[in-house]
Amino acid sequence: MKQFGSFIATRLFLAFTTLVIVSFIVFSLMELVPGDCAERYLAFKNTQGSGISVEDIEAERVRLGLDRPFVERWGKWLVNAFQLEFGRSCILRVEISQLLGEKFLLSLAICLASLVFAYVIALPVGIMAAASENRFLRNTLSFVSYFGLAMPNFLLALCIMLFSTVYFGNSMTGLFSEDYRDAPWSMARFMDFLGHVWLPIFILGWSATAFALQTVRALVSDELGKLYVTAAKARGVTGWALLIRYPARHSLNPIFNSLGFDLNRIFNELPIIALILTLTDAGALLIEALARSNDQQLAGAIIFLLTASIVAVNLLSDILLAALDPRIRKGIMI
Amino acid sequence: MPLLSVKDLTIYFNTDEGQITAVEDVSFDVRRGEILGIVGESGSGKSVSTKSLMMLNGRNSQISPESRLILETDDGPVDIASLSHVKDLRLVRGHSISMIFQEPMASFAPAVKIGKQMVEQLLIHTDLDKTTAKARSIEILSRVGIPDPELRFNQFSFELSGGMRQRAMIAMALSTRPKLLIADEPTTALDVTIQAQVLALIKDLVAEFDMSVILITHDLGVIAQTADRVAVMYLGRIVEQGTTRDVITSPQHPYTQGLINSRPSLDHFEDPLTPLSGDLPSPLERPQGCVFHTRCAHAIKGLCDTQKPPVIGVAGQDPTDEDAHNTSCHLLSPSASEQVLVS
Repeated sequence: MKQFGSFIATRLFLAFTTLVIVSFIVFSLMELVPGDCAERYLAFKNTQGSGISVEDIEAERVRLGLDRPFVERWGKWLVNAFQLEFGRSCILRVEISQLLGEKFLLSLAICLASLVFAYVIALPVGIMAAASENRFLRNTLSFVSYFGLAMPNFLLALCIMLFSTVYFGNSMTGLFSEDYRDAPWSMARFMDFLGHVWLPIFILGWSATAFALQTVRALVSDELGKLYVTAAKARGVTGWALLIRYPARHSLNPIFNSLGFDLNRIFNELPIIALILTLTDAGALLIEALARSNDQQLAGAIIFLLTASIVAVNLLSDILLAALDPRIRKGIMI
Repeated sequence: MPLLSVKDLTIYFNTDEGQITAVEDVSFDVRRGEILGIVGESGSGKSVSTKSLMMLNGRNSQISPESRLILETDDGPVDIASLSHVKDLRLVRGHSISMIFQEPMASFAPAVKIGKQMVEQLLIHTDLDKTTAKARSIEILSRVGIPDPELRFNQFSFELSGGMRQRAMIAMALSTRPKLLIADEPTTALDVTIQAQVLALIKDLVAEFDMSVILITHDLGVIAQTADRVAVMYLGRIVEQGTTRDVITSPQHPYTQGLINSRPSLDHFEDPLTPLSGDLPSPLERPQGCVFHTRCAHAIKGLCDTQKPPVIGVAGQDPTDEDAHNTSCHLLSPSASEQVLVS
């Protein structure tokens, strides 16, 4: 137990260090963008018709603290970032936390739900597919999962939209109905949200499931051939006890290890799906911030939050791994 | 009645390249309280034939219908080959027969405590409750010479040394008091000094547990020290069988002679090593006639490559006698010498 405690403490510290390093990289990237926030805002003002002088830009710089040394500004940004404060957007001049808040949480929730959806299906089905002696079942499952891998998410989304528009007269887009879009959270709004959100979760989970299914099946098949499984069989262990306690359990290691990677992949696919399903509340904002408006404060905040989510999932999977595998807990294997 | 009587055991594997004969017409007995050594190179079928005693040979294997694997149990003789249901197979999987493997590290599940795996086996095969099963496990861990057994019970296999792991494996195998222990190269992965300790332990336990042992190895030295009788296998056939003393002091089959001559010696520093000539044929190109004729220096053309050699008692012994020294070689059969003279 003591070992487990110190393991968690070490991992927490490592996660924290990772975030500090990430913040340095993100902040440096923000600095590397030509022009700073003051210039960008005033240039924007300029296009609106107000005349701007060099003195105005200097004054704005001082106001924003941009005249301070790099390390000082990074330190300040870092401390604020850990409190989820990212300052104001360069162009929109609105608090980023306000701008992102719900949108980011919604995006993250959709991605996490897709991840859970993928493994809830992939784990049992993958184990079955690996262990089954039924050739027909095995072939069917691999066909389905290859199909899932081969079919791009956006195509699936378009197909479903087309289908539901033709047959139900409803394109199933958005995360909320008209009535609830700007309403405050309530039970009714939440139910409305659930009625919409399953579709992006399903579509994002689709290829994630196919991918996870392949992984689980391959890993369990690998474990099935190991000597300790034969040895357990030779002791009279049979059926589910054999399958779950031995090969299935021991194949979880690499699966947990890749959870952060899986989440990253789903996050990457979110903007495309968000575009097609017009989920203005999720995903799209990321592209907008990064590409269109060149708003480095907003972009930096988004990248930092994304990385932090992945670091958090990795931390969680590390702890799960340690709980499952004594070799990791006892520091024999990392 | 011997504890185990294997008659005409033939095992095929169905592969994509075709059917492979891994074991052919193998017959041997294991008597109560004896250690039978099975020696041979890798691919000789020694593991496959013993694994069939626990029906552990995988989905693509097939035992020929003529094969008989008769095990004497408290409820009378049972033909292992006729057991098909997994529940029935428990009789030979950890109940009457236990097996220990070459690599003790790999034969324990890495993320399950040793004690848990031991208790699991006892709960399957006995009426013990968890507490008694734990007590029995600790007791037997201590019996096989593991210091501080309570601690080891709660540890994982990676926390033990190689020798300790193999002792723990033996303890687990013997916890259900099986009648037969199959030891598949139990000391190959261990240091020589540890090897001697483990072999001595197995010998001690035979008498104490009133069991028999099949000891599989490629090391004739291990056989000489441990086994009462020995069967020499080559390409799925037993080529020579007899008491350890007879087979090692006067080997009759050219393959056995080759095996003994190819052992490195500590006495003759200058002598070159004398390996067996030729390579093991591919399992897909199984030789006709005597399986050894492709590597045999004395092979007789037209006989060894066409006809399967009969089982012959050495020096006029009756090959069906309990301790008879048998071999399957045309060179030793009277009819063959006549043929040589004729040609």
